[in-house]
Amino acid sequence: MICGFCGYEFDESEGKKGCGGCPGGCHSIHCPKCNYKNPLEPKFVKKLRDLIGGSNKKT
Amino acid sequence: MATCCGATTEKAATSGTVKRVALVGNPNVGKSVLFNALTGAYVTVSNYPGTSVEVARGSAVIEGQEWQVIDTPGMYSIHTITEEERVAREILLHETPDVVLHVLDARNLERMLAMTVQLVEAKLPVVLVVNIMDEAERIGLKIDLGLLQERLGIPVIGAATARKRGLDEIRAAIANYRCDEGNSRRFAYSRLLERDLGEVAGLMEGEYILSRRTLALLLLQQDEEIASLVGQREGERYSLISEKVREIAFERRESFHLDLSLERKEIVKKLLQDVFFAPEKRVVTWAERLSRMSVQPLTGIPLLLIVLYFGLYKFVGDFGAGTLVDFLEKRLFVELFNPWITHWVQVIIPWQVIQELFVGEYGIITLGIRYAVGIILPIVATFFIFFSFLEDTGYFPRLALLVDRIFKRFGLTGRAVIPMVLGFGCDTMATMVTRTLETTRERVIATILLSLTIPCSAQLGVILALLSKYPGALVVWGGCLLLLFIVVGFLAARILPGEAPMFYMELPPMRLPQFSNVLTKTYTRMQWYFLEILPLFVLASVLLWLGKITGFFEKLVDAMTPVMASIGLPRETAIAFIFGFFRRDYGAAGLYELQTKGLMDARQLTVAAVTLTLFIPCVAQFLIMKKERGWRVAGAIGVFVSVLAFGSGYVLNKVLLMTGLLA
Repeated sequence: MICGFCGYEFDESEGKKGCGGCPGGCHSIHCPKCNYKNPLEPKFVKKLRDLIGGSNKKT
Repeated sequence: MATCCGATTEKAATSGTVKRVALVGNPNVGKSVLFNALTGAYVTVSNYPGTSVEVARGSAVIEGQEWQVIDTPGMYSIHTITEEERVAREILLHETPDVVLHVLDARNLERMLAMTVQLVEAKLPVVLVVNIMDEAERIGLKIDLGLLQERLGIPVIGAATARKRGLDEIRAAIANYRCDEGNSRRFAYSRLLERDLGEVAGLMEGEYILSRRTLALLLLQQDEEIASLVGQREGERYSLISEKVREIAFERRESFHLDLSLERKEIVKKLLQDVFFAPEKRVVTWAERLSRMSVQPLTGIPLLLIVLYFGLYKFVGDFGAGTLVDFLEKRLFVELFNPWITHWVQVIIPWQVIQELFVGEYGIITLGIRYAVGIILPIVATFFIFFSFLEDTGYFPRLALLVDRIFKRFGLTGRAVIPMVLGFGCDTMATMVTRTLETTRERVIATILLSLTIPCSAQLGVILALLSKYPGALVVWGGCLLLLFIVVGFLAARILPGEAPMFYMELPPMRLPQFSNVLTKTYTRMQWYFLEILPLFVLASVLLWLGKITGFFEKLVDAMTPVMASIGLPRETAIAFIFGFFRRDYGAAGLYELQTKGLMDARQLTVAAVTLTLFIPCVAQFLIMKKERGWRVAGAIGVFVSVLAFGSGYVLNKVLLMTGLLA
């Protein structure tokens, strides 16, 4: 994903998640470079992208 | 002899039919985007053994063949310095990929091609992906990819992976890579360096993944890991190699690294002759022009005012809090839904006290749900659309640079723009983000300013809608907040000890926002915002109902009446303030209701809006303040903010009465 603030491109796994502050769980990824709170892509949007992406395989 | 393809190595031979492709390159060149495009969202991420560096792996089926795709950490050279680079090289050395995709940024081709040269001379099975071609073309750069391919002797593909350009060609290049076609290109160094390399490489007899020539270069660069690898493979012969390396290193001790770097630069320069064309007069795109305008105070401040006028005032205030709220709250809820549901609740539930819980004055449905869906939802939705739109253009980092100079006077830096801007969305969320600021002093100042002068989106939308009927009131409200922001910030910076830290950041390009991005971000933010507020609104309605039936609520309103009177507000305004303590947006919605009932004039509305905006942070924000700053600081901020809110309301009311302004 691309950070909405500094433009740094990173993988969701690289970002900081789950500081425990938000009620109802964490729905954001903090950029590893500038700490900006980026919203997590909803699951159904991801599924939709995968569907459109076609050939990708689930590991 | 180097093994050109991983498929020919022992390890790959035992790994069945799954082939490997490794993505390498500098950080921030689009590797992860390409990785995700090749593998989809489902990947495994784990620490590379013995390190804290994470490596992502996924799988893909490309032209019927199963591939494991490895996203290596960013690296600048085969000669490693950082742990990330070491891990990336370890993957190349020990996981023997069948294809190495070197991804680089077309705009920085000259700087990044040096690593391609290293990979090619290492005889790795390289495919070069010249990424971000769209941006390069936009600034007028031209790259003859065919000629570059010919000169490098490896497949070269132009791509813009973020825009899905070149993905099919990359897949085809991976699938059709033949190691026997592998790179045999040799880039000539100076005679002196060639002699040294020849002497060291000539002493090696072992089998290696990297070419002996590359190993010789790395040994001459005093690479300890490579020295240990060569030592293991060569056994007794290593003493000869080591002696030769020592001898050459001593001879060239003064300038080996510099000479090598200059020679590589020369090789790259020759490779790019007639390949890379930069326009004599650099094309300045509209995005760059806008970017420059947005960071210079003379043009940046008017631009910011335009953004605020159209984004906040017209779109959120006028359209969201005006047109949409009017439709949803007045038409849908008050005229249609509430009478209908009230009728049915009265039919189904015989007890009046329970009816009140659902459809009474403070009923869960008639008040809680109506506020949440009819008033807050349209305002928050329009705000998040505006916010996500701006975010996607890359405007925020420019805003940070623009205000950096001003913020420094408050002991903050431009970095504080992040929580401040987020505060307009939700102050609770923004208070949490203050932890990203560098010093404790900055965090405390930002927390004070957030809890005091930054209204959340719903509050802002309602206030804009209420006050826009009286333009003077809006100016007074905005002026009061700005004045307090400046005064409190300035004083806080003087009272709290410490130095203002430095702030610098690399600006990402400004771009046209993508519709799908704006939509996704808005949806995500709204979904969680709404899920968070709805239960709180319901809970607030229940508490208010309990307060009403026990008489506690009336007593609370009675107790607050003298305070309300002292700032010139009617008794009923106390209700909005009590709501506001549950949530800021709930309080703003209460104010909206009072105005629609015609209980307040322009002066009273302005005083109430200023006081409510400055008023004590809502419960959620207060709890986060306590969590982030501790009880002592949170309590002190709470008391300070409350006193200042009512104090400011009192002074403002007196000033307005004396001057006859807004009468």
